[in-house]
Amino acid sequence: MSHSSFDYATEAFDFIGRLEALSSVPDVMDEMAKSFALFGFENFIITGLPNLKERFDQVVLLKKWPLGWFDIYAKEDYVRVDPVIRLCRNTVQPFEWSEAPFDRDREPRAAEVMDRATDFRMRDGFCLPIHGINGYEACFSMSGVDLDLSSRTKPALHLMAMYAFERARQLLNPLPCRGAGLLTPREREALMWAAAGKSAADTGDILGITERTVTAHIVSACQKLEATNKTQAVARAMQYKLIQA
Amino acid sequence: MTHIHVITSDNRGLYEDGIQQFYRLRHQIFVEERGWTDLSHSNGLEIDAYDNEHAVYLLAIDAGRVVGGQRLYPTLLPHMISDVFPHLVQRNIPQAADVLEWTRYFVVKERRTGRTDCRLLAAMQEYCLENGISEVTAVVEMWWLPRWQQTGFKVRPLGLPQIIEGQPCIAAAVEISTASLEHVRKLAGLRGPSLIRHVRPSPSHPGMPHVAA
Repeated sequence: MSHSSFDYATEAFDFIGRLEALSSVPDVMDEMAKSFALFGFENFIITGLPNLKERFDQVVLLKKWPLGWFDIYAKEDYVRVDPVIRLCRNTVQPFEWSEAPFDRDREPRAAEVMDRATDFRMRDGFCLPIHGINGYEACFSMSGVDLDLSSRTKPALHLMAMYAFERARQLLNPLPCRGAGLLTPREREALMWAAAGKSAADTGDILGITERTVTAHIVSACQKLEATNKTQAVARAMQYKLIQA
Repeated sequence: MTHIHVITSDNRGLYEDGIQQFYRLRHQIFVEERGWTDLSHSNGLEIDAYDNEHAVYLLAIDAGRVVGGQRLYPTLLPHMISDVFPHLVQRNIPQAADVLEWTRYFVVKERRTGRTDCRLLAAMQEYCLENGISEVTAVVEMWWLPRWQQTGFKVRPLGLPQIIEGQPCIAAAVEISTASLEHVRKLAGLRGPSLIRHVRPSPSHPGMPHVAA
């Protein structure tokens, strides 16, 4: 193919325009499958990155993965050892799977997940990490066996993946109620002392700040947790595992 | 308490210190922290051709200390995208009376985990809505786009990402709308308008009471 970079830009802009017009998740997935297939991609997943208490299947937003692979991946809890996921947490730049480092000898489980993926035609891949607001971390990872990944295609893929992620996020709205980053450290502290039965004045003495500031942290936590008072905020923060009792 | 102040050529005289802090912080953040060495200057101030009477600054100031800032500039004049980054734009560069260029956005390090970020973003939308602006254009590192989108901003790419100073960057236009303002205000913990506009008493009105400087 003799694409100029202008063609890729048009391709990407048109894709973004089409995504915007689609309002159902299956339509968005079809559009993504069709458009990313032009670059050789056969599979993709859009997922949040689970914290220690979350399971992988709880944070997946969209997936077009080979039958069987998702079950294996979830059952083996590969998300904890996958080098692609690891690099995702540590970079803001998109990367090819082959750029995600691991030590074949010392990290046999990392080697295992990469090897077994190839059994499902997931040999090479391209991954876009997302570092959003309030500590939200996610990624868009796509793969296949014969990819058109070059310095000319990657900028378009980067942009397309970012908008695909955003459309999925808008339709599935995963943000509320998750992410330890929802509350600031001070807000968590204020709630933890409230959970321990301390008044705002007590908490202020303990933390060395004014009672007024403690109250401000609690009010702010209430807003973020959509709680009507301190008691409900404490309950919700515990329920969402933002604080521990 | 942090407030966002609107500084234009009309009231700039009231903010000489704030503007100096803003220039110094820009040097610290863009040159020393981010490594945009082209902007380096021996006096430790980052000032460019667009810091003139047409610029509008929205500065986050807490007890006299600047903790974040941003600049808006008319796109009908030669501006950064038209002068420096035209190659980032695939189609036409948006240039209109109701389009401003949005540059030099930052939050100081120790405020990056709080709400200063969302407050500055809310201030940008609020100022633009009040002034009949329909969109702002900007060059931004790609990894920031999801952050803008998650604060409720509608972002239109103007071209494909390209590497600038080692980072994929993109030229983009952000829509100004009440929906975006409402969304980001919620995240910022704001219930209503938040901009502070100090007006300098005009010397041509001798009836005005004197204000201690």
